[in-house]
Amino acid sequence: MSEIKTIALLGQPNSGKSTLFNNLTGLHQRVGNWPGKTVEQAEGEFVFDGTIYKVIDLPGSYGLSANSEEEVVTRDYIQSGKADLVCILVDASQLERSLYMLADFVGIRLPVMLVLNMMDVAEAAGKKIDVAAIEKRLGVPVLGFSAAETERYPEFFKKMVSAIKTPVCLDSGSLREELVSGGELGEKTDDIISRIEAALGDFEYGVCERIWIAEKLLEKDKLICGIVNESLPFARKNAIDAILDSDEGRDGGILTGEAKYRWVSKIVRESATPKSIEKVFSKWDRIATHHIKGKFFAFGIMVVSLIACMILAFPGMGIGFGMQPVLQSLVERAGNALGVWPVVISFINLVLVGGTCITICMTSFIFAIIFVFRILEEIGYMARFSYAFDNWLSRLGLQGKAIMPLFSGIGCTAGAVCGTRVLDTRGQRLLALVLLWAIPCGSKVAVVLFLASTFFGSAAPLFGIGYVALIFASFYLSSRLFGKKLVPQNERVGMIMELPPYHKPHWKMIAAMVGRSTWGIFKKALKMILMVAALFWALSYAGDGNVENTLLYKIGNAIEPVTMFFGMRWELFVSYLGGMFSKEASLGIMSTLFNHTGEAFSLVTRVAASENLGEALASTISKPEALAFLFASMFNVPCVLAMGTTYREAGSFKWLATIMGYYLALSLGLAFIGYHIGLLIF
Amino acid sequence: MKNAEFVDRLSLAEMGENRCGTVAQIEGDSRFISRIVSIGLTPGSAFTLLKNDGRSPVLVFCRDTVIAVNHKESSQIFVKVES
Repeated sequence: MSEIKTIALLGQPNSGKSTLFNNLTGLHQRVGNWPGKTVEQAEGEFVFDGTIYKVIDLPGSYGLSANSEEEVVTRDYIQSGKADLVCILVDASQLERSLYMLADFVGIRLPVMLVLNMMDVAEAAGKKIDVAAIEKRLGVPVLGFSAAETERYPEFFKKMVSAIKTPVCLDSGSLREELVSGGELGEKTDDIISRIEAALGDFEYGVCERIWIAEKLLEKDKLICGIVNESLPFARKNAIDAILDSDEGRDGGILTGEAKYRWVSKIVRESATPKSIEKVFSKWDRIATHHIKGKFFAFGIMVVSLIACMILAFPGMGIGFGMQPVLQSLVERAGNALGVWPVVISFINLVLVGGTCITICMTSFIFAIIFVFRILEEIGYMARFSYAFDNWLSRLGLQGKAIMPLFSGIGCTAGAVCGTRVLDTRGQRLLALVLLWAIPCGSKVAVVLFLASTFFGSAAPLFGIGYVALIFASFYLSSRLFGKKLVPQNERVGMIMELPPYHKPHWKMIAAMVGRSTWGIFKKALKMILMVAALFWALSYAGDGNVENTLLYKIGNAIEPVTMFFGMRWELFVSYLGGMFSKEASLGIMSTLFNHTGEAFSLVTRVAASENLGEALASTISKPEALAFLFASMFNVPCVLAMGTTYREAGSFKWLATIMGYYLALSLGLAFIGYHIGLLIF
Repeated sequence: MKNAEFVDRLSLAEMGENRCGTVAQIEGDSRFISRIVSIGLTPGSAFTLLKNDGRSPVLVFCRDTVIAVNHKESSQIFVKVES
């Protein structure tokens, strides 16, 4: 059996960790949750020279303080000592700041390799970095790298293999000197670090050296304070508390931070030239960060992105929609010629062919959104979105970045769901998912407007306005209901983030990554859509084509007393359920049931809202019922693919069920209110 | 930097655009300190204030990085402004 080595990737957000992880592991990766946490865990493998390397992509964090759930996960994993090598990634274009992570790692006895990522960006900004000098100073392997350039990977493998063969840990001596000297804070510190060390005695914790524990105590790290409290005898514990409570102890976090940066500066200032400020904050950025112009600019970018998405999605949509009638008639002719039972032909056409075609259509929009988002993130614009919209979205408990997935929800909910990945914490992602489901995609808007104009004619625009108001009201409700749990108040610090420099996108890598995720989504979506389509087909198939002989008709009639409670007769309720599959399916079912077109029920046949359907609906359905159905359609579950991608992003069935349950309750609740108000008015 | 004359001591939120300064003092709970320190603002660090419109997050250039700090919280960071 081959040897297995574990490599943990550690780095700040935007350090290029996920790019490295994806390029190393390719398709051999799993994304799940850390046990008992709402934090995403990405794990993968690759084989090099006969050895299996397990790669753990730790959640991005700025340092090793345990403040957020992500940071706790990262810290716990590091402290578990499971990694054979910790690969620390820093952004070479922002070397001094991002090396803080390395400084925070000093005092942890695990083999380390430092990767100065994005060397290409640093060089483009006119920055020169002497990698060999840094390596010599630190005494651990250091690699100048660019994770997005696939041709540079042999260098990575070479360094990695030697780092594992001869493992070296960081030496804490030089950082300790900085901590003791106190630097700018000078005498004020009163050698507090040595006093804590003395009080700690020979106490060590796993891979953590005494000096590291002393730092974290000064930083009031809750986990470390707890451990020390439990493990030390009373007298020594008191001694430490007294030191931490003293004047200099209270400023401990500043003392250690300052010392760490001093340590970093000494490394960097000897081995790298700084970049010029003009290149950092361009004229573009002056506009992009302006409090009014910046928002207009961002809206402009969003509109352009949405158009780009539609253009990118167009070929896939064309293939999907174009193929369906061609294939279906082919199957029908071939089937008839061969004398195949009609039930088989119906199954092939309405489940297999229809399902595959609709999956192609739906996935093509997802592909487009992932692609465009990836580019925006890669070139560094995503952070500017955050900046421009932070004030607005922080009221809902979200970051400014969330504006992008929320806005693209207008194009396609399922794709926008994938876009929530740009958010930093899982809590934020889940909250954005909840809000996102309320935003109507193009198809939903079309259905709602069709219904409103069919039943209420010239009053339809009022429904449009009412709908927008209801969406914002639902945002408020959702953020009240879910916000506190998902994004706890104490994690809602105001925006403190870096605006990364603009990068040139690496097309090849983006295309490969987007292609891989789209293919993954397509496979899962296809399975799910075929299953749902098959189930619906079985319920709605009647040998003689008579609706009354279908299972659906029988079930629908049986539950009508219940659904009428919400103002929906069984035909409408079935259409509402079909709307969970896709908005087109909702129209298709209505036209089968109300138009008596004689067509079989189908989720996959594309039916445009026709004049005939409008007339048929208006003549059969009363105004209160119409109101109920309209409200139910507004907040109905977006579509089957949105459910699928939500499941994938949330990483738990429980959360998908929660969000679905919430929207079912919301839409049926509104239907109920609408129906009963309608009964009073009309 | 050591020889520069400092004429004023005020918070980041009150500082004018395109001026240079150094961080003098940071106030706040350990959580805030940990966040602000890990992004690169510590006492003694020199920076240039790129943008401060009185409402949007303040933008400073410090340690090779453009850093955005929420306007409200930037008033907890005290600075010495170079003349």
